[in-house]
Amino acid sequence: MSPRRPKILVVDDEPPLRELVVVTLGDAFVCDEVDNGDEALARLSGDHYDLVMLDVMMPGTSGTDVLRKMRDDEKLRDVPVIVMSAWQSPQDVASALEAGADRFLAKPFRIDELGSMVRGLVSRSA
Amino acid sequence: MRRLSLVGRVVVLASAVAMVVVLVVASSLIAIVSLRHAEARESRAKDVTAATLMLQSIAADLEASLRGFAITGNAQFRSRFNAADKELPAAFQQLTKLVEDDPQQLHRAEDAQGLLNRYVSDVALPIIEIIRPVNAKAAQSQAADELEKQSANEIRDELDTILNTEQARSAARASHARDLARASIVGGSVALVLSAALVLLFGAWVARQVAAPVRRTSEAAAQVAAGHLDVRVEEHGAGEVGALVSAFNSMTRALEHNQEELLAQNKLLRESEEHKRDLISMVSHEIRTPLASVCGFTSLLLEREFPREEERRYLEIIDQQARRLASIAGDFLDVKLLEGGGMTLDRAPFDLVDLTREQANLFFSHSSHLLELDLPDDPVVVDGDRDRIAQVIGNLLSNAIKYSPPGAGVRVVLSQDDGRARLAVADEGMGIPPGDRSRVFEKFYRGSEAASAIGGTGLGLAVAREIVTSHGGEIDVESEMSRGSTFTVELPVGAVAE
Repeated sequence: MSPRRPKILVVDDEPPLRELVVVTLGDAFVCDEVDNGDEALARLSGDHYDLVMLDVMMPGTSGTDVLRKMRDDEKLRDVPVIVMSAWQSPQDVASALEAGADRFLAKPFRIDELGSMVRGLVSRSA
Repeated sequence: MRRLSLVGRVVVLASAVAMVVVLVVASSLIAIVSLRHAEARESRAKDVTAATLMLQSIAADLEASLRGFAITGNAQFRSRFNAADKELPAAFQQLTKLVEDDPQQLHRAEDAQGLLNRYVSDVALPIIEIIRPVNAKAAQSQAADELEKQSANEIRDELDTILNTEQARSAARASHARDLARASIVGGSVALVLSAALVLLFGAWVARQVAAPVRRTSEAAAQVAAGHLDVRVEEHGAGEVGALVSAFNSMTRALEHNQEELLAQNKLLRESEEHKRDLISMVSHEIRTPLASVCGFTSLLLEREFPREEERRYLEIIDQQARRLASIAGDFLDVKLLEGGGMTLDRAPFDLVDLTREQANLFFSHSSHLLELDLPDDPVVVDGDRDRIAQVIGNLLSNAIKYSPPGAGVRVVLSQDDGRARLAVADEGMGIPPGDRSRVFEKFYRGSEAASAIGGTGLGLAVAREIVTSHGGEIDVESEMSRGSTFTVELPVGAVAE
């Protein structure tokens, strides 16, 4: 019997992007998808996740707000977060890292880069 | 009253000062001339007095020598008489010459001359004649003596009158000359004081009317140079100086106005620069999002094996996202056409009901939004460019989905009324702030901060409006904050298709 598969929450308002992340990560991970920040926070407070893939620019609660709330929450403080965004100026990257992101992934990204980044963070926290 | 120009005022005042100075000089000249005149009079009076005294002495000589001769019969007295008689004409000539311009005195002198001549011819000579043949006693007769005395007295009186008159006149003239001189000195002094006062007044006036406004203007100019364009000079001052001050004020007003305009333009430019930066960043974001799917799925398909079904699905996503990219590029192309006015329509009659249904299916098949579609049973035929109108409807539908929460309702109603087709797309979204409503149709306008978290080029509605108006239609928006927005398109209905 293989060990428990790491659980990942994919937060993005663009369905194709969520699907791309899910397909790229493949069967090695269990992926849940949500398309907005509020739902992401609701899921996070209910289930344990090993990693969050978080888009920044979403209607309603933005990815940065979700990240800040996570870092203020004792239970969620240590959950690794990869922020992925099409906004990638030095200020955008800096504000994501300051808000508590572990990695910044610029869209469009290489699929192998996504895979190695996720595996690295999950194995470290495991 | 018409205000005199500054030059006019200076000329008037300078003339007044000059006139006063001329008066001063003239009165001094008059005083000098009258004094000299009085002097000449006095010296002539002295001459007249001297000439009269000479005549008096000759007359006295004549009388004395006649008496001497009559008493003594001595020839020496006779020759003295003759000598005095000889001097008479010259002495009278001198006197008459001196008084020739004075008829009264001249008359008196001629009288005196007549009397003396008569004295010589009627009194003295007969007495001498009597004395020569007879003895001296006869000459001393009472009658002769009386006659002689009377004549001599008459002559003396006449000469005295001349003398007295001349002296009285001389005194009167001297007094008149003194009066005149005194009056001239007083008048001259008054005029001098007056002219000094006038010059002072003139100076004060120039200072007030010219120097002060010019000084104020130059101070204001220095302030303007230092950048204080709100400086104004009190509009005071005569003629040209007043005009200068007022011209200065209008210049600073114009400068201030221009500066305000420049600042406003500068602000606009800065805003437009910021806008451009935002736009570039927004466009790159808009392109990157679909590009991420295209690149990602392409890599997956190239690197991994997938069941044929999944493979097809990913290819569909790639296709869809590539189209999205193409549509962004198309928006920019449309904007270029809008700016150049070069949008051409490929017009043909088509059914708007059919087109609306088609677009609704396209946009809502993969959406969590709840579509409520209200279409008429009969076709609504519009003569226009079907693809362009499809673009408009697509834009309104995608906006309704984009700007309202997932699961919210979108109501699409098509109706036909009075030759106009009316398509309304109502969402239950965040609404458009009142300040943004009139601007949502401007190109690149992305609205308030709430909306800016949502992707878009800010071109869709601008292009939509251009398409609708070039079809002779109208596009409008009504909105209520947190309740939703309704976009309405009205198009003229064309002929029913065959």
